[in-house]
Amino acid sequence: MSDGPRPSITRALRDPPALASCNLRQWEALVLEARRTNLLSRLAHEIAERGLLDRVPPAPRAHLVAAQTLAQAQADAMRREVKYIRKALARTGIDIVLLKGAAYLMVGLPAARGRLFTDVDILVPFERLPEVEAALMLHGWFATHHSAYDQRYYRDWMHELPPLRHAVRTTVVDVHHAILPRTARLKPSSAKLLAASRPIPGEDRLRVLSPADLVLHSATHLFLNEELSQGLRDLADLDSLLRHFGDDPGFWNELPQRAVELDLARPLHYGVRHASRLFGTPVPGAARSHVECLAPPPWLDGIMGALHERALRPVAPGEPGLLTPLARQALFMRAHWLRMPPMLLTRHLMSKILRVDRDGDHSRASADI
Amino acid sequence: MTFREWNGEIVVFNQETGSTHLLDEFAGIVLRRLMASECGATVEELATALAYGQEAREQQESEQAVTAVLAEFARLGVAHADAS
Amino acid sequence: MILADLSRSELERRLAGPGLRLRAGPVVTQIQSLLGAVADGVALHYAAHPIEDSDGFADFFVRVDRPRNLRRWLHPQAVFYIDGEAPFTPLPLDQAFPLLEWGLNWCISAHCHQYLIFHAAVVERSGRALILPAPPGSGKSTLCAGLIHRGWRLLSDELALIDPATSRVIPLARPVSLKNRSIDVIRAFAPAAVLSRPVHDTTKGTVAHMQATPDSVRRAAEFASPAWIVMPRYEAGATAALTTLPKARAFMEMVNGGFNYSVHGRKGFEALARVVDLCACHTFAYGDLEEAAKLFDALATKS
Repeated sequence: MSDGPRPSITRALRDPPALASCNLRQWEALVLEARRTNLLSRLAHEIAERGLLDRVPPAPRAHLVAAQTLAQAQADAMRREVKYIRKALARTGIDIVLLKGAAYLMVGLPAARGRLFTDVDILVPFERLPEVEAALMLHGWFATHHSAYDQRYYRDWMHELPPLRHAVRTTVVDVHHAILPRTARLKPSSAKLLAASRPIPGEDRLRVLSPADLVLHSATHLFLNEELSQGLRDLADLDSLLRHFGDDPGFWNELPQRAVELDLARPLHYGVRHASRLFGTPVPGAARSHVECLAPPPWLDGIMGALHERALRPVAPGEPGLLTPLARQALFMRAHWLRMPPMLLTRHLMSKILRVDRDGDHSRASADI
Repeated sequence: MTFREWNGEIVVFNQETGSTHLLDEFAGIVLRRLMASECGATVEELATALAYGQEAREQQESEQAVTAVLAEFARLGVAHADAS
Repeated sequence: MILADLSRSELERRLAGPGLRLRAGPVVTQIQSLLGAVADGVALHYAAHPIEDSDGFADFFVRVDRPRNLRRWLHPQAVFYIDGEAPFTPLPLDQAFPLLEWGLNWCISAHCHQYLIFHAAVVERSGRALILPAPPGSGKSTLCAGLIHRGWRLLSDELALIDPATSRVIPLARPVSLKNRSIDVIRAFAPAAVLSRPVHDTTKGTVAHMQATPDSVRRAAEFASPAWIVMPRYEAGATAALTTLPKARAFMEMVNGGFNYSVHGRKGFEALARVVDLCACHTFAYGDLEEAAKLFDALATKS
C-alpha cells in the first residue's frame, strides 16, 4: 500500500522548529491549510509552547495570534457551558459523562490545547433520556430539527437526541446514549463505557470515559462519522491522546483488548495506522502487531486505506481537488452504511436530497453585514 | 471581578459569564461602599450611609433600593451575601 | 506598484487566473473572478491600492463567480468563496462587487482577532482618530463619506480595527458603501467623489460604493490614536449639535457594536476601557452635512 504525500500541516505539527526556514510563500500555504483543516490554533499552540512565536514573520504570526485568541475564548465558553449543563441536570441526580472536546478540556488533556470547540457532547444512560431532555428544556435549551423525519432519524436510528440549542446563549448540546447508532453494524456497549468511566477530580457529577475508551471513541468518531472534512483534526486529537496515555506502559496492552471487547477493533486499526503515518505517533512494537491483527482482509484493507488517505489529505489551494471529494463521498457512503442498514440508508439519503431542494440551504448565512 | 468607573458610572466585566454590564450611579456608590468596608456591610449600614435624611421612611426606601442593587450584584457575580 | 499601474487586460488576466493580490491596510487578499462586474469594481475602487506579488503573504483567498450548478443558466448569480467554501447565499450577478465587499468585511471581522473590531466608521485628522459607532439608520456612512471630502482621512467606514496593545486604530482605507438617499446627497456634497454605478434591489436597497480618497490609501500605514467617540444620528431638519455622552455609556455602545469583543474576554474589556479613557465622548445630531463638517472642524481645532 502506497504512502501518500504528507500534508505540510502535519509536518509542521511534528516539527515546529523546522518552520524557521520557511519563506513567506510556504507560510502562506501552511496557514491556509491549517485554517482549512481546523488546525490553525493547534499549530499556534505548538509554536508558542516552544517559545518560537516571535520568530514567525509578522504577517503569518498575526493569524497564529488571532487563532490563539479565538481558541482561548472558546475554551472559556466551553467551561461555562459545562457548568450550565451540570446545573440544569443537577436535580436528575445523573452523572454526566462528557465526550470529546468537553472531556479533554475539563480533564486538562494536551488534546484540548489549541483546539477549537463547538458543541458539548454528553453521554447518559438510554433510559434516562426523557428526564435529561426535560431538564435541559426547562433550563432554556430547545429542540432543533423539527421535521418528523429528522426526529425519527435521531431518536430511532441514531445514538443521540436531536441537538438542543440554548435560547439565549445559542450554544448546542448533543445528548448521546451511545457512541454509535442503534442501526450500526458495530455495537460498543454503552453500559461498559459508563461502567469504566471516571469522575473528574474537583468537578461534581462530571465524568469522562477511561483512557482506552477516550482513544477508541476518538478513533470511532473519526472513521465512522458522516462529516469527514474534520478528519485530519480528529486524527490530531487521536495522536495527542495516544501520546499522552501511551506514557503508561499498561495502556498499550489494554487498548487492543478493549477495542475487541467493545467491537471497535477496525476503527482502532485504522486510527493507529493513519495517526502514526501522518503524525508519527509512537506505537510500541508489541502493540503495533496487536493492532495489525485487527486489520480487515487484505483486499478491503487496500481499498479502505487508499480511500482514507485521499480523504484525509486536505485540498491545496488552486487544486481542482476532484479526487478528494470523491474519496470523501465514498467514505461518507460507507460511514452511513456502517451506521445504517441498506434499506434505511437509501431512504435516508433520498430524504436528505429531497428536503434540501424543498427547503433550500438553511445553514448558509446572509451575505451582507 | 474587573470594573472601571467614569463619573460615578461603573462598567463591570463578569468573568463567570463573560458578560459586560453598566451599573448606574446608585449601584456604583453601593459597590464602592462595599469595597471600602473591610469586612462587608449590612443592608442597614449601607442604607444609612446613603439615605439623605434620618426619617424612617427614607431609611426604608434606601434599604429597599440597596437590597435591589445587592440582588443585582449577586446575579452578576459582583458581590455575594454572607449569611453571618 | 498600485492597481492603476496594471493594464485592464493584465488585471483581467490575474483575476481570471493566478489571482489578484490586493492590499488594504494590513490585509492582503488574493481575489479571483471571471466576472466583468468584479473587474470593473476593483479597477475603479482599488485603483490606488498596492498590488502585491505572489512571493509575499496573502491573508485570504477569495473568489466571486457564478455558482457551480445548474442554476447558473436560469438566474444569473454570483457566489462568494473563501478558502474554497461558500458561506453565503448567492446574490444576483449585478451585485457581484457589493458581494465582494461584504465578503471581505466578513473575512476580516471573522478572522482578524489580533485586533479588536467594532462596527464603526473611523476618520483621522492630525494623527487623531474620530470613531463613529454605527447603529443602523445613524447616517454614519454618509457622515463618513462627507467628512473625508472636508479634510479628514478615511481609516474605515465599517470596521474599526484597534490594536489592543497600543489602542491605536489601524486603517483599511477601503471603499465607503452608501445606500439610497445618501448616494445623491454625497454626489451633491462632494462632486469630486468617485462613485460606482448604483446597484438596485439589494437587501439594503440601492447601494453604491465611493472610492476612498487617494490620500487615505497612500497613508494607510499611518495609524491614529483614538481621540473622539461620537455617536451620530441623522434627523432631517436637525441643527448640528454635539452633546456630551457619559464615558460609561460610550463604553457600552462600543460593546454593543463589537464584532469580536467577546472573543477577547477580559483583555477586550480592559483594552476598550483604555480607548474610552483617551476619548472625548459625544452624541451628535445633524440634518445637514455641511453644517456637520463645520462642527467637526471646530471640534478638531478646539481640543
